[in-house]
Amino acid sequence: MLGVVGVLAACGGNTTEGGAQGNGQEGQRTELRLAIGGESEEGYDPTLGWGRYGSPLFQSTLLTREDDLGFGYDLATSYDVSNGGRTWTVELRDDAVFTDGEPVTAEDVVYTYTTAAEQGGLTDVTGLDRAEATGEHTVEFTLDTPRSTFADRLATLGIVPEHAHDEDYALHPIGSGPFTFVDWQRGQQLVVERNDDYYGDKPSFERITFVFTGEDASLAAMRTGAVDLAGVPSTLATQEIDGARVVAVTSVDNRGISMPYTEDGLPLRRALNVAVDREALVEGVLEGFGTPAYGPADATPWAAEGLEVDDADPDAARQILTDAGWRDEDGDGFLDDAQLTLFYPADDSLRRGLALNVADQAKDAGIEIEPKGASWEVIEERMHDDAVVFGWGSLDPTEIYNLYHSEEGGQGFNNPGGYANPQVDEHLDAAVQTADPDRARGQWQQAQQAAAEDVPWIWLVNLEHTYYIADCLDVGTPQVEPHGHGWPITAGIADWTWTC
Amino acid sequence: MLTPLLKLLRVASLMVAVALGSFALMAASPVDPVQAYVGADAVNVSPEQREEIAERWGLDEPPLQRLAAWAGNIATGDLGRSQIYNEPVIDVLLDRAAATASLMLLAWAFAGVLGFGLGLLAGATQGRWPDRALSWWAYLLASAPTFWVGLLLLYVFSVWLQWTPVCCAAPVGTLPGDATILERLHHLILPAATLSVVAISPVLLHTRQSTIEALESDHATFARAQGERTPGLVVRRVARNAAGPALMLQFAAFSELFGGSLLAEQVFTYPGLGEATTHAALRQDVPLLLGIALFTAAFVFVGNALGNLAHAAADPRVREEVAQ
Repeated sequence: MLGVVGVLAACGGNTTEGGAQGNGQEGQRTELRLAIGGESEEGYDPTLGWGRYGSPLFQSTLLTREDDLGFGYDLATSYDVSNGGRTWTVELRDDAVFTDGEPVTAEDVVYTYTTAAEQGGLTDVTGLDRAEATGEHTVEFTLDTPRSTFADRLATLGIVPEHAHDEDYALHPIGSGPFTFVDWQRGQQLVVERNDDYYGDKPSFERITFVFTGEDASLAAMRTGAVDLAGVPSTLATQEIDGARVVAVTSVDNRGISMPYTEDGLPLRRALNVAVDREALVEGVLEGFGTPAYGPADATPWAAEGLEVDDADPDAARQILTDAGWRDEDGDGFLDDAQLTLFYPADDSLRRGLALNVADQAKDAGIEIEPKGASWEVIEERMHDDAVVFGWGSLDPTEIYNLYHSEEGGQGFNNPGGYANPQVDEHLDAAVQTADPDRARGQWQQAQQAAAEDVPWIWLVNLEHTYYIADCLDVGTPQVEPHGHGWPITAGIADWTWTC
Repeated sequence: MLTPLLKLLRVASLMVAVALGSFALMAASPVDPVQAYVGADAVNVSPEQREEIAERWGLDEPPLQRLAAWAGNIATGDLGRSQIYNEPVIDVLLDRAAATASLMLLAWAFAGVLGFGLGLLAGATQGRWPDRALSWWAYLLASAPTFWVGLLLLYVFSVWLQWTPVCCAAPVGTLPGDATILERLHHLILPAATLSVVAISPVLLHTRQSTIEALESDHATFARAQGERTPGLVVRRVARNAAGPALMLQFAAFSELFGGSLLAEQVFTYPGLGEATTHAALRQDVPLLLGIALFTAAFVFVGNALGNLAHAAADPRVREEVAQ
C-alpha cells in the first residue's frame, strides 16, 4: 500500500495544473483502449455465434465459466438435470433487465435458444429438441439425446430480447450484460459503455474502446501508448516496451499431428511419438511461449494423467521400429517403410515451423518425413491418408469426442485419421450421456488414456497467448484460453481495474 | 445522339461481362465459404449446423440458379446481402466507398501534381543530376511494395517521431460525428502518402519522356531559335504536350490506386473498400464481391472517360479526333 501512495505522490508532482491528467490517478481512469482483434464481422448477435469466446459484453448468459473452468450462475439461479440427462430445467433471476428497460423473461430465453437452433450461425444448438417456458422464470430444455456438455451452451449463448431482435439487431445489440453498445465502425473500433443497470458487479471502467488493428499496428499502438493492452503473436512479444509488461496466458490452444489410423502404422506412430523433442519445439518455434503437449486438453480439468512420454529419444524410437521388424535394406539411413508426408496449411508460419522441425527430429530415428505446405482444400482431400499438423483447443470437452470417436471419422475435419477403438468410443459415449459432471470428467480422462496406446494423434505443443499489458492495468488471473488468441482474454473484463 | 447511346451499351456490356466473369471465377474457386466462415471452430460446429449455414446463405441452390436470382434482384436495384457482414451489400459499399474515396482522392491529387511537376523538371534537365536523382527515385518507388513502404512510414512517423497516428480514420475512441476535419486529415496523411507512392512513378517517368520528346520537336527548336530559354519553353510550350499522357495515365491509374488502397488500408487499419475486397474474396462472399466488382468497373470506366475528356481539353489534336 505504501508503494502505491509513493507512486501517487510522484504522479501528483507532475500534475500541479489542476489535475489535468486526471486519467493517471487512482480510481480516476475511466476509459480503456484495447487492441486484441476479435472483431465479429457479422455483428454482435449471440444467436449467430457472437460471444462464444470471452465476454459477450452486451448480453448475459445463463451460466458463466469460472476460473477453474467449472460453471457458475449468471442469469440462472439454479439448474437441474433430469430424465436421464435429456431435460434441463433452469430457474432465472427476476431482477435482470435489458438496456431498453424491459425485463428478461423466460420467453426471451426460449426465443434465444430456438432462434439459435434454427439459424445457421457459429453457435451449434442442433442437439436441442425444444425449449419451453414452464413458468415466468423457469425454462425447460429438452434435448434429442442426453448431453452432459449442454452446460457449455448455457455458459456461452447470450440471451437476446425477443421484442428487439430484428434484422439489424447485430448492428445495434441490446442485452442485459455488463456493457451497453455505443458505436461500431467496422474494421476500426467498437466503443462500449458501462451498463449502470447491470444486476451484477459493475465494471470499474465507464467506457472501453476495442481497436481492430493488425499485428504490427497493434504493437506500434502499444509503443506509443495509444492502447493499454495489445494481443500480439509470440514472435512479436520479445521486445521491451516502457510502461508495459508481457503476459503469457495459458491456453488449450494446441498443435498436434493427426496420423492416418492403420494397423501396420502403429509402430511408426509410437516411434514418432517418442522421437519428437517437444521442449525443443517450444523453445525453437514458440520462442519459449508454450509447453509440451501430450493430450488435446492439457490445461483443463478433464485432462488425463499419465499421458506424458519420454520423448526426444530417437534411439528408443528406432528400437520400436526394429523390434517390429522394420529394416533399412537399401542403406539410405531411413527404415524402408518409415515414410510420411506431413501436411500443414501453407500460410501458417507456426505450423510450418513445427512441421520442418519434426521432420528434422525424426531423421535420427530413421523416419523420413516430407513436410508439405498446402491449402485447406488440398489438406481436406489428403487428411485421411497423410499426416497433418492440426490445431485444436476448446473449453468444451465435446472436442475430445469429435477428435477420437469412430463415428466422427469423415465428418468434416473431425477425427481425420479415421481412428476407431470400441473401448474409447464407449468412454466417450458415457461421458456425453451422463448427467453427473464428475462422472463425465472421469470418462473423458479414461477415453484419452485408452486412446494413448494407439497414438492416433501425436500432440506437440500447447501455446501460450501473449499480450502486452500496461503496468497500471490489473486484469486479474486470466482464464485458460481456447484456440484463438485475443478476444478470450475479455472473459474477466468486468473485473479489470486500474491500479495507478 | 448515337455516341452516348453507344457508350451506354458499352458500359452495360462491360458490367455484364464483369459480373459473369467474377461469378465464373468464384464458382471455380476451391474455397468453401462455409468452411472459411467456420474456420477455427471446425470441431465445434456439427455437419447439421453447416447445412443450416449453407441454407441461410442460399448455397444449397445450384450455382446457375443463384446467379439468375442475383441478376433478377440487380434489375430491381437490390445488390443482395453480404454473407460475411450480415448487412445489405449497398450499405457496405457506401460505407466503405466514402472512406476509400477521400483516401484515393488525396493520394491521386498528390501523385498527379507531384509526378507531373517533377516529370517536367526531370525532362528539362535530361542527363544532369536533377534528372538522374529523380529517375532513380522513381524507379525505386516503382519497385517498392506498397505494404513495405507503408510499414516503413508507420515506424518512422508514427512510432519513432510520433507525428502521425498509428491507425484508423479518426482518433481512437471518438464517435463518428465527433472527429474534426483536421483530425481526419491527420489520420489520412500517412495512408495517402503511402498510396501515392504507387501512382507517382509512372506519371513522373512518362511526363519526363514526353517532355524530352517535346523539347526535341521542331516547334521547340523554333522557339529556342527565337531566344526562348528552357524554363519558359517548358512552361509555355512543352507542358501542354506533356500533359496528355500524364492526364491519361492519371485517370487510368484509378484501377491501380484501388489495388494499392487495399494494401495501404491494411497497414493503417483504414476501413475502406480494399479491406472489404480481401475479406469478400478470401471468404467467398459472392454477393459482396460481385457488388464490389461492378462498383470498381464502373469507377474505372468513369475514370477512363474523364481521362479522355481531360485529354481532349488539353490537346486540340485529340479533340478533333474525338469529333471525327
